[in-house]
Amino acid sequence: MNGFMNLLKRLNNPVLFNEWKMRMRNGRTPWILFAYLVVLGAVTLLYIFLETDGGSYYSPYQTRDMFITLSILQLGMIFFVVPGLTAGVISGERERQTLNILLTTNIGPTRLVVGKWLASLSFMTFLIVSTIPLYAIVFLYGGVSPVQVVKVFGFYLVTMFGIGSVGVLFSTLLRRTGIATVLCYAVFFCYTVGTTILGEIVRELLYYYQRVNNLPRMRAEWLNIFNDINPLFALMNLFGEGPVRSVSPGAANQSWLAQIDPYWVYNACFGLVTVICLLLAVYLIQPVRPSLFKRGAGER
Amino acid sequence: MIQIQDLRKRYGRMEALKGLTLELEKGTVFGFVGPNGAGKSTTMSILATLLAPTSGKAYVGGYEVTKHPREVRKLIGYMPDFFGVYDNLTAEEYLEFYAANYDIPAARRKVIIPQLLELVNLNHKRDAYVDSLSRGMKQRLGLARCLVHDPEVLILDEPASGLDPRARIELREILKELRNMGKTILISSHILPELAEMCDVIGVIEEGKLVAFGRVDEIYTKMREKRVIRIRLLDRLEETIAFLREQPSVSSVSREGNGVAVGFSGDDEQQVELLRNLAAAGFSVASFSEEKGDLEEIFLEITKGVGS
Repeated sequence: MNGFMNLLKRLNNPVLFNEWKMRMRNGRTPWILFAYLVVLGAVTLLYIFLETDGGSYYSPYQTRDMFITLSILQLGMIFFVVPGLTAGVISGERERQTLNILLTTNIGPTRLVVGKWLASLSFMTFLIVSTIPLYAIVFLYGGVSPVQVVKVFGFYLVTMFGIGSVGVLFSTLLRRTGIATVLCYAVFFCYTVGTTILGEIVRELLYYYQRVNNLPRMRAEWLNIFNDINPLFALMNLFGEGPVRSVSPGAANQSWLAQIDPYWVYNACFGLVTVICLLLAVYLIQPVRPSLFKRGAGER
Repeated sequence: MIQIQDLRKRYGRMEALKGLTLELEKGTVFGFVGPNGAGKSTTMSILATLLAPTSGKAYVGGYEVTKHPREVRKLIGYMPDFFGVYDNLTAEEYLEFYAANYDIPAARRKVIIPQLLELVNLNHKRDAYVDSLSRGMKQRLGLARCLVHDPEVLILDEPASGLDPRARIELREILKELRNMGKTILISSHILPELAEMCDVIGVIEEGKLVAFGRVDEIYTKMREKRVIRIRLLDRLEETIAFLREQPSVSSVSREGNGVAVGFSGDDEQQVELLRNLAAAGFSVASFSEEKGDLEEIFLEITKGVGS
């Protein structure tokens, strides 16, 4: 109970509440919501139209495909929207000349960074929640298990946390919002494409080494981690699609790494990225940074 | 209340502060004067815990600013030379937000915010969006924002810059009220007369060094002692100059066109005596007017040697 009360106390963050208020007063907010729903809704309805040849028979198997399509599209939208929402949270304050004032209040760097981060992510969550009626079409026809739905939404949440924290870090590091946003998009593009390519290059180099040295060909299971931490493949894996890896807990011929569900590998990776980026942002936002290695005696 | 000891700040090759030393007692209104780039804002940023000095120490309320920034922040209200506002908030919500940032309970906020708006004469703009306020009003709102947590020290970096004369007068009146409330105020400007009216102590900073430091009342006493009288004559200029030089209360005489500028160190009665003597000697005095001494010149003269 005490822990819960502490959490509530910590969430009592003026920066978070202020951001919510200002976000909802911003004239662009309804248009962003409108555009988001139009894109996802149009794709869903177009998919149904094409699959049913203009509206006749519709099978649960097709609903599953539609759910996958909708989920991938939602993931794409998250990667498109979250950097835009988070890469300006600190640099925007700096550009508006309000950051220095905030830093001289009692708010502290942790509450400031976490407040900004949560405010942006709660808006993204709001966008995702607003698309639930579209998912209701899928639920109407069946074909997808509730566990899968929960897992997909959990996946979105973890992904948002990761992308958002990188956005906040860039926003703290760079003075200009525009540069921070572009860099954020570039990093995520390179990450998504790069993890796949890098995994395959390392795998081929390993096979080459085994061939040249006449070693027995062994599958390097640890290389699958590149696929596990790739957002697109990780999502596909939830539906048993893409470069899927079968997990057999307790199998003697598999290493311990291969026995971990890729879903949790992905969550652990993005969780780690979130923690590291937020800690770095909290440290870097401080105008006078305490030394990480030297501890001096207090002076008054 | 504020102590600065041999403060230095270096930006690459440029040295913004060159060993600044300063001490201000509680309740003092200190005017920090100097041209742009002299080091005023750097000093204020260090005191506001926003900048680390290269060397030297700065204390606010006994707390060293780099080692105890949290304690210092509770003691100070800082207004930078340029600051932005949140456009989508009303004046009341703006103050509410900053009061919450200082962990002031909601019930207390409801009491202090109307009082602060009244203090800065913005009661009528309580529900107006901040972006609709004039620059002077925003400046006053910024001042109210500095006061939400009732700080002992106010650090105001050029609060009057960019304001029209009316807004300047309003700001000056508010500052006088704050002085009466016993706040220690550090206020900067590049115009000395602007500060002289509201400060107890003035310090002049140039190229990162304190070149002058003194009490304002001393300056005014000196000003009363050292006045300049301008006399315009119709003829016999050289004779008048010779006559004036013989007068005991005249310290200097210089020719200015068809008139003379007289450095006068006497009182009002001696000034009347001088005019009477000129008339009695038959000089054609077309005009005889007193001019106040140059504030900056006098200030620099009486504080000569400080900081060197």
